Amino acid sequence: MTRLRPLWVVAPGAFALFFVLPLAGLLLRALTDGDVAGEFRSSATLDALWLSVGTATFTLVLTLLFGTPLAYLLARSRSSAVRVGAALLDLPLVLPPAVAGIALLTMFGRRGYVGEPLDGAGIALSFTTAGVIVAQLFVAAPYYVRTAYAGFFAADPRFEGVAYTLGLSRWRTFRSVTLPLVWPALAGGALLCWARALGELGATLLFAGSLPGRTLTMPLAILAAFESPAGLAGAVSIAVVLVAVALVLLVVLHRITDSRGPYQ
Amino acid sequence: MTVSASFTSRLGDFALNVSIEAGDEVVVLYGLSGSGKTVTLRTIAGLARPSPGHIEIGGRTVFDSEQGIDLPPQQRRTGYVIQDSALFPHMDVSANVLIGVEGDPAALDRWRTLRELLSIEGLDGRRPHEISGGQQQRVALARALVRKTEVLLLDEPFSALDEALRQDLRAELLRLRREYGLPIIFVTHDLREAHLLADHIAVIDDGEVLQFGDRDDLFQRPASRRIAELMGVRNVFAGEVSDGRVAVDGLMLQAEIPAGLSGPVDVAIRAERCNLRRLDPDDDLPANNFAAIVEERLSFGNTHTLRLRPERVGPSVDVEVASRPYEVIGVAGRDRWVVELPAEDLHVMARQ
Repeated sequence: MTRLRPLWVVAPGAFALFFVLPLAGLLLRALTDGDVAGEFRSSATLDALWLSVGTATFTLVLTLLFGTPLAYLLARSRSSAVRVGAALLDLPLVLPPAVAGIALLTMFGRRGYVGEPLDGAGIALSFTTAGVIVAQLFVAAPYYVRTAYAGFFAADPRFEGVAYTLGLSRWRTFRSVTLPLVWPALAGGALLCWARALGELGATLLFAGSLPGRTLTMPLAILAAFESPAGLAGAVSIAVVLVAVALVLLVVLHRITDSRGPYQ
Repeated sequence: MTVSASFTSRLGDFALNVSIEAGDEVVVLYGLSGSGKTVTLRTIAGLARPSPGHIEIGGRTVFDSEQGIDLPPQQRRTGYVIQDSALFPHMDVSANVLIGVEGDPAALDRWRTLRELLSIEGLDGRRPHEISGGQQQRVALARALVRKTEVLLLDEPFSALDEALRQDLRAELLRLRREYGLPIIFVTHDLREAHLLADHIAVIDDGEVLQFGDRDDLFQRPASRRIAELMGVRNVFAGEVSDGRVAVDGLMLQAEIPAGLSGPVDVAIRAERCNLRRLDPDDDLPANNFAAIVEERLSFGNTHTLRLRPERVGPSVDVEVASRPYEVIGVAGRDRWVVELPAEDLHVMARQ
């Protein structure tokens, strides 16, 4: 055992370093070559930042509203058809984002099966801010639903049974008994969903494009900067802005998920 | 108050057929794991739906397949307590007890009384994980009784506790029953617990109520070999009725034979009802006595069980002797005995 000890320290240490080093490189490069302060003042960057934060948050709200009851139903249902449905929900998790974008275009694009009649009715999804949310929802919501489903599945349904015999309505039972029990899973899933939505690139690019002020989110802005004459130097500055803002928001979200939130 | 339930339930390949009723008494549902006891309680509570059936609680029909009545669990007024209490882990004790009856002054009064009755004063602000298992079950009982409960449904409520605590809680349950005069349906697979608590017992096996009746009747006069075995009767012999006696392995036994019974029968006698007699095994022995040799001795602390095999005629038999007579008679020092199977303790059943 004693001889193994250095390995036990070195291996995880090296692994952790693997994650820290690129971020350190990003920061160093931004400080030496880039203009982070300038990006923080640039209206184009700030537009992209608020678009990203705003759409990711809106995506999260939609996911919570629709994904929570869906996850609950999937977890409590005994039907095998529902089980198959639950498995299908995992599909977007393994789909390359570009494929997700193409899939969205075929259905909701201007020439898509649903998109064309919608377009006729004056509702456009692709290449609009709504399209950014649709792309994020498709790619990121399964992270929440999957995690919430696991949480509901693990929560002992007998708690709910006892609550019903105590006279609690279904809604009151869900609110006062089930939700607090699965709170950590829901919060963890929400965190994953929001983070994935914030970083969404491929599906958004294909389905919503990169129109400044409308669909140009931070990841797209970074890509655009990288491909511009400014190259890497321009990209790292914007990237640092995104990392800084994401870090602050993640710390806030972590504080909620690590606690039992409102059920302290 | 009374409860009656008569229904059929189907869960995959498992069919449950139940018909029981309870007045202000304890009815124990006794059976092995997986026999259908818990489903029975869940069905009465409204947490599982039977196919055809009729369930009445306190004179109200809460389920009737023909009339299309199916009250939800919220309206059935059952107090349902399960093995590991299911106290809500994120609520303190008083929130757990008073959830759903907040603001009802009568419930608050009852909670004060119950705290005292169940010795759980001073725990109000504690979370379930901060109190002992016994206290958790007491809180769960209080939670079931603090509202207008018309029947207590207890699903192995004490089985996760150690023996000393279980004894305390059983005594407290009997006290609560006197205090509240409620029908109690109590599920257990513990025979001693069943005997201590039950006024009536329903023996459930593989989804069927094999026998439902008075506790002592069930213990002494099980209706079949299977029920006898489930009720812990270790001696069940195959016999044959002839000339008003029962022949068991060449021994003619005097016994009370139910009218109309003839031919092959099963004869049951509890191990503690068999006697060891200090007669000479080589003498002519009186009726229902036979010579036997000890093959095995098992000590359970306060009792000893002897496994005896017959010398000439009679069945192999288990005899249970309390520790004190075991020592006084000097059972340990002798292997040849005369075993008596008293006629009044032999229970003759039709062979099934």
